[in-house]
Amino acid sequence: MGVAVLIKQVPDTTSKVSVAGDRVDESSVSKWSISPYDEYALECAMRLKESGYSEVVAITCGPQRSSKALTEAAAVGADSLIHVHVEDSLDSIQVQTLLSAAIKRTGSEIVLCGKQAADTNSGSTGPGIASILDYSCVGVVSEVSVDDGVLVATRQGPSGLEEIEVSAPCLFTFDKGESELRRPNVRGIMMAKKKTVEALTPGDLGVDLGESAVIVNSHSSPPDKPPGQKFEGVSSIATVVQKLRDEANVI
Amino acid sequence: MMRNMAYEALDFYDIDSMLSEEERMVRDMVRDWVEDRVIPNIEEACRDGVFPDDWRKEIGEMGILGAPLKGYGCPGLSYIAYGLICQELERGDSGVRSFASVQGSLAMYPIHDFGSEEQKEYYLPKMASGEWVGCFGLTEPDYGSNPGDMITRAEDKGDHFLLNGAKMWITNGTIADLAVVWAKLDGEIKGFIVEKGDEGFSAPEMKGKHSLKASVTSELVFQDCKIPKNRILPDVKGLRGPFSCLNNARYGISWGAVGAAQSCFNSAKEYSLSRIQFGHPIASFQLIQNKLSWMLREITKGQLLAYHMGKKKDDGTWIPEQISLAKMNNVDMALEIARMSRDIHGANGILDEYPVMRHMANLESVKTYEGTHDIHNLILGRHITGIQSFTREP
Repeated sequence: MGVAVLIKQVPDTTSKVSVAGDRVDESSVSKWSISPYDEYALECAMRLKESGYSEVVAITCGPQRSSKALTEAAAVGADSLIHVHVEDSLDSIQVQTLLSAAIKRTGSEIVLCGKQAADTNSGSTGPGIASILDYSCVGVVSEVSVDDGVLVATRQGPSGLEEIEVSAPCLFTFDKGESELRRPNVRGIMMAKKKTVEALTPGDLGVDLGESAVIVNSHSSPPDKPPGQKFEGVSSIATVVQKLRDEANVI
Repeated sequence: MMRNMAYEALDFYDIDSMLSEEERMVRDMVRDWVEDRVIPNIEEACRDGVFPDDWRKEIGEMGILGAPLKGYGCPGLSYIAYGLICQELERGDSGVRSFASVQGSLAMYPIHDFGSEEQKEYYLPKMASGEWVGCFGLTEPDYGSNPGDMITRAEDKGDHFLLNGAKMWITNGTIADLAVVWAKLDGEIKGFIVEKGDEGFSAPEMKGKHSLKASVTSELVFQDCKIPKNRILPDVKGLRGPFSCLNNARYGISWGAVGAAQSCFNSAKEYSLSRIQFGHPIASFQLIQNKLSWMLREITKGQLLAYHMGKKKDDGTWIPEQISLAKMNNVDMALEIARMSRDIHGANGILDEYPVMRHMANLESVKTYEGTHDIHNLILGRHITGIQSFTREP
């Protein structure tokens, strides 16, 4: 049985993102990376493969540039790569529909992805796909292992770690866990070069995207942080205490 | 792998666009490793005067050792990729790049090109994985720029060779599992593989360096050192052996120096943008901008030199004099940039909070090792005039 891992290419968390006109200026992004939560999902997929699952298929949906994220996944061991190629920006439901169709095509009954993407932070992809495919969904997990054919997910609960047993078909969304994505090596990079990316259009998947239900009016940069404030002398103690309590919420 | 600050390597002429995807991925892999593992720990390693053993293992796991060598478990990458690996390692620290240069170009390369089939199969896979560390013994206490007059001798004793002599300034010496040692056999320079633990062989560490502090530097001492007959490198004799190793290492240094210079440039740029004097960031003053623009100019030229040299290495259309020029120019450039960057940092530049003083001290060694700056000038002088000026002898 194969494992599918969903990967989104996002501006690296260390990159500056700027807005030109009323849209994020993609050309200003110096580095694109796999979304960090997806990296945890990918690492878990590689571990599941090591514990006996036959293969890992990495799937992404996005413009041409995002194919690189698949090659990066291949460099750490993903076996096959699917790129659902769309140049326009899509709404959450459109993305979920495309990815669901791609997963169905692979026949994977275990799906792993990040709990949210580092750029849009909407957190809707995983649960949305589980709903479309009618898979069980366990959210915000830090680890998934297999115990005697049963999938066991570990997640942070309100009073400690929870272990949840679940059977396939199932989708897991990943939080930051203990196991960071392994570093690639030269052998992996050279193997990745040989793996072909299967590029599919919405039409290939039999999906008619239709009109988006979401209209983005504009993007804008967050306001500049207000400058620091300086307090001197004993007389300011009361003000400082009040600010620490009411504004900074630290005491 | 979440990080705090983006490292945007200076690439004014977009060398990146000339790289293959594989080369970029190898570069990014090493860059991420340096960012995660070297930069946060380098100052401690320098203070303790150690090359952390974890780094050896992790460099081995990445599979970058002996980068351009093919077969026997070696990576088989392009010379451009090898250059990029050196650049990223040296952006962290010259000592880390030195470890990889010595292992790959000075110890693995001679076994790969001049060794017997048996030697290649036995040593190279273990060295490519970083399990075994190699070093290279050419320089002696009294013979640096003039290695041809070396004293170290090998004698054929029938069923073994006997080595006598001493080597000095040997990177990786004390931590090495094997040394490729150049010694005279019947008056002719030959290469020998000496293993740790061989009778009569010791490798005491040299202490007290103000430079390359996170790199192990040693003496190699041979006192009636007995080695089996199958440890001689069969396919090379004379100075061509060590010099061809040095050519590869010097090529890597020409890229490594760019990495150190990029690190110093970045630090100077960030510092000058945040340091306020006379009410304005010092980056807004003409003297600072002049310095930054000079750095950008010199680094860009050095990058193009290294890149073009790499293309020639990959095509096999190079001559050693071109490597001399690249090594000499780029190290000289990097050292001047380190000094200028220290100047821009003012007093802060001497602190270990910034990488510049460390790079500056390291680059003083890099300027001297693998053919001193002046020796490379003489190599070029001979090339231009046809007259060698190394020695007074005809």
